Amino acid sequence: MPNFRYFPNSETDIKRLYAILNIRDKKELFKKIIGDIPLIDANNLKVLSRGMDEVSLCRYFSDISSNLPDKNKFSIFAGGGIYNHFVPAAVDSLISRPEFYTPYTPYQPEVSQGTLFALFEFQSMVAEILGMDVVNASMYDGAESLAEAILMSLRLYLNANPDSRSPWQEQQVKNNCPGGEINPHSSHLILASAGVNPHYLSVVRTFVNDIKANVETVKLNEKTGRTNLNDLKLKLKNGVSAVVIQQPNYYGVIEDIDELEPVIHGFNPKPFFIVSSTEPFSFGVINPPGYYNADIFAGEGNSFGNHMNFGGPLLGIFGAKSVYVRQMPGRIVGKTKDAKNKDAYTFILATREQHIRRGAATSNICTNNSLNAVRAAIYLSLCSKRGFKELSFLNLKLAHILHEKLLKTGLFEERFSGDFFNEFLLRIKNEKITVLRFIDVMADRGILAGIRVAENEILISTTENNNIDNIERYVENAKDILGSNLI
Amino acid sequence: MSGFPGISGLFLNEGLLIRQSSKGVYGIGIPDCGLKDSELKKTPADYINKKFVRKNAPGLPEVSEPTVVRHFTRLSSWNMCIDSAFYPLGSCTMKYNPKVNELVGSFGNIRDLHPLTPVRFVQPALKIIYDFNLILCCLTGLNEFSFSPQAGAAGEFTGLKVIKRYFDIKGEKRDIILIPDSAHGTNPASSALAGFTPLEIKTGANGYIEAKEVEKYISKNVAAVMITNPNTLGIFEKDIKKISEIMHKNGSLVYMDGANFNAFIGNVRVSEMGIDLIQLNLHKTFSTPHGGGGPGSGAVGVKGFLSDYLPVPYVSFNNGNYDLSEDKQYTIGRIAPFLCNFGVIIKAYAYILSLGNDNISSVSEIAILNANYIKKKLGEILCGADPFKDKLCMHECVFTDKAIEEEGISTLELAKLLIDYGFHPPTVYFPKNIHGAIMIEPTETESVKTLDEFLNAIYKIMFKTKKSAALKSPRKTKVRRVNEVLANKYPVFKY
Repeated sequence: MPNFRYFPNSETDIKRLYAILNIRDKKELFKKIIGDIPLIDANNLKVLSRGMDEVSLCRYFSDISSNLPDKNKFSIFAGGGIYNHFVPAAVDSLISRPEFYTPYTPYQPEVSQGTLFALFEFQSMVAEILGMDVVNASMYDGAESLAEAILMSLRLYLNANPDSRSPWQEQQVKNNCPGGEINPHSSHLILASAGVNPHYLSVVRTFVNDIKANVETVKLNEKTGRTNLNDLKLKLKNGVSAVVIQQPNYYGVIEDIDELEPVIHGFNPKPFFIVSSTEPFSFGVINPPGYYNADIFAGEGNSFGNHMNFGGPLLGIFGAKSVYVRQMPGRIVGKTKDAKNKDAYTFILATREQHIRRGAATSNICTNNSLNAVRAAIYLSLCSKRGFKELSFLNLKLAHILHEKLLKTGLFEERFSGDFFNEFLLRIKNEKITVLRFIDVMADRGILAGIRVAENEILISTTENNNIDNIERYVENAKDILGSNLI
Repeated sequence: MSGFPGISGLFLNEGLLIRQSSKGVYGIGIPDCGLKDSELKKTPADYINKKFVRKNAPGLPEVSEPTVVRHFTRLSSWNMCIDSAFYPLGSCTMKYNPKVNELVGSFGNIRDLHPLTPVRFVQPALKIIYDFNLILCCLTGLNEFSFSPQAGAAGEFTGLKVIKRYFDIKGEKRDIILIPDSAHGTNPASSALAGFTPLEIKTGANGYIEAKEVEKYISKNVAAVMITNPNTLGIFEKDIKKISEIMHKNGSLVYMDGANFNAFIGNVRVSEMGIDLIQLNLHKTFSTPHGGGGPGSGAVGVKGFLSDYLPVPYVSFNNGNYDLSEDKQYTIGRIAPFLCNFGVIIKAYAYILSLGNDNISSVSEIAILNANYIKKKLGEILCGADPFKDKLCMHECVFTDKAIEEEGISTLELAKLLIDYGFHPPTVYFPKNIHGAIMIEPTETESVKTLDEFLNAIYKIMFKTKKSAALKSPRKTKVRRVNEVLANKYPVFKY
């Protein structure tokens, strides 16, 4: 057996182990355990090359890195559910402590107080930002979080409206099953605003399509880009278990929830009101979901101290009113005492979870995105009360400056009139140039200009990682490309 | 306890940051971004309708960067971790997390890559996913992997959705998933979430599911069996090929929970056992750090006839170019908002490249040797507690509480006593079909010397520990035994 740097046992140790077990070699070891099932022939692993030493490995990944857009030169104006916020060095430094990144899930609280304490602070700070009673210790991402929120609302709805259950459903409710098959003859529906991130809606459909609940979208007001109140009123009917509004919505528009919430909660039987968000940084400036009496919040927290990582891992945030805590998915950390009556932290209400309730758990989630949540805790602590508010406002300002400058070129027009936070939708007037082409040429010039939403509509966002200089550069390049008809 | 890693040390106390606030203090630099004075002076209501403007800033702490750094550094010192201690949690595969993997994962252009960057600019990133798929196919004998699932349970859910969709398209209504009683709780939970009814099957006296037991449950209503192999007893499912035959003959599928793939990697292909689908926990077998509860990655692999059911998007390769494609005829849809947990996968990929074809088969070999060493030696200390005494285990072994109970120590007390000796406890009270289960997985990255220290600690606990000490343990930790009853009776979930 060759020496390999991650194996502490020497060749002599291995021989000794074989001798103690009274086994000759690997072949006999496996034969005794798995019988006739053939072992892999080493010649049949050609897809792998020989093991790489650390020098070669670093070179290999340096090459990959240098063939990707240079993060120091590429200006990012794309959002669409993930935002290019600055991550302070202290966050990366602290999260690189092995004490945070190499333990398992804290099943033994006495030797896991660090993680548990940090998660408790995460839950507390995020609850403050959202204005929600309870926040759990993380989900995978905003989309999965929203899907779980919808399943939770279905359980709550079936509990609150026993008449709408089929006999089979009755059994599911008794067993506290995640969804419960929806009686096809009753019309259990989830209403989601067309302003919810389309990828989120796709994930939600994947989750609910086997329990026969349907997702119907509520139109946006063509002018303002906000959820259309009349369409919502039209579609609210018996059997609607939840209404989902994203704030700010996918097109960046700030929803007028003051107008929507009374309609949702005023309907009988009462649907559950779920607020989602891909950019909770906005709640440093705009009113949070708790202010509008949201029952559940389910969204993305990647903006809090996490890198974009080409789309994952992210940070699913899940919050609810405390009356619903027992139907929540995921881990929750609680404060308690130890045997000496000192403060201590541990997971609580575990009877909701798969390791206790198995098939009747509120969710199957086990490993979540705990380390990303600890990152968020560190980041939000650094931001502190004032920094969070100021950074949030700075995002809003920069986006408005860019918005104004682009409109001033005369080459774009506003798609929606509604107020926005750090993201907005524009229409490119030059019909000869598609959005995809525009994005492509801008990218060649070191600017990720935004995201294609329609043939001639582009979704643009900015964060504190951009400044007036690269905003000017965006505008100049846009003028050059769209004003010239050269393409 | 001399000679053991656990000695008493100095713990620095630390309170909630919110209690350390000083009005107006913050620990982050706010860039001016080149804004003009006139812009700096504006208020939110100058930009948006004031009815949207939040009046009270969220109640975050008010602290500086040094305060934050000291706070979290102190907190971190209250954790036991794989870098500081032997961490033999059964079925969790707590192996060493190589440092170079963290380094390459943190290269700026990789870490700060926006997922919606045009594909032309992200070819090297897509190539990693494409190549990693080929490697996982080679290691398992399956035909295609989806990297969408974010962790093990998400992988199970994805696999089960694939099964559901497969039968829907075939026009067969099958509701039941057969799951052994030793299975991880996520198995039945994922089944229920995917709209199935989980049905429990009993493990035989020899520690594996017998084919004749499975036969009892066979009906046209059975969609699949979901079997962890080796199971959570560390035992190889000896009848697996027969079980697969029975299932296939019935038109059902075979799903393998690959949480314990560390027992096979580089030596055995699961395709040889008739497996149709598997999820691989990259944060276990493929060495990516567990992060105190995630993030992970639960890549799902399937045989060719199920490829078209996998989630979208996926990475395709045509005419020399990689692309993100969605053209899978029967796809179950999206599982995640973007492609995958790339930040995790790149570390797992670095791990496999480091091992290469010359070292990879040693992983499972040494893991099995180490586990059997513990099984044999601990069997001598805990007399009569090894339920499968004369059998070889795979990557982990399990004991009942019989021997320790005779000495007046419960499984929980053993776990807490081990902490004081400087070891993370094994998995306890799981699987549930073993009385007072103690489940130990050493992995291949521990030395015989460490295993001997661990065994010695258990010996001391068995024969040299006063009963009163057991009740009061652990004594050297930051906090003493945590009151879980109180925690649940009066839940406090925020400051």
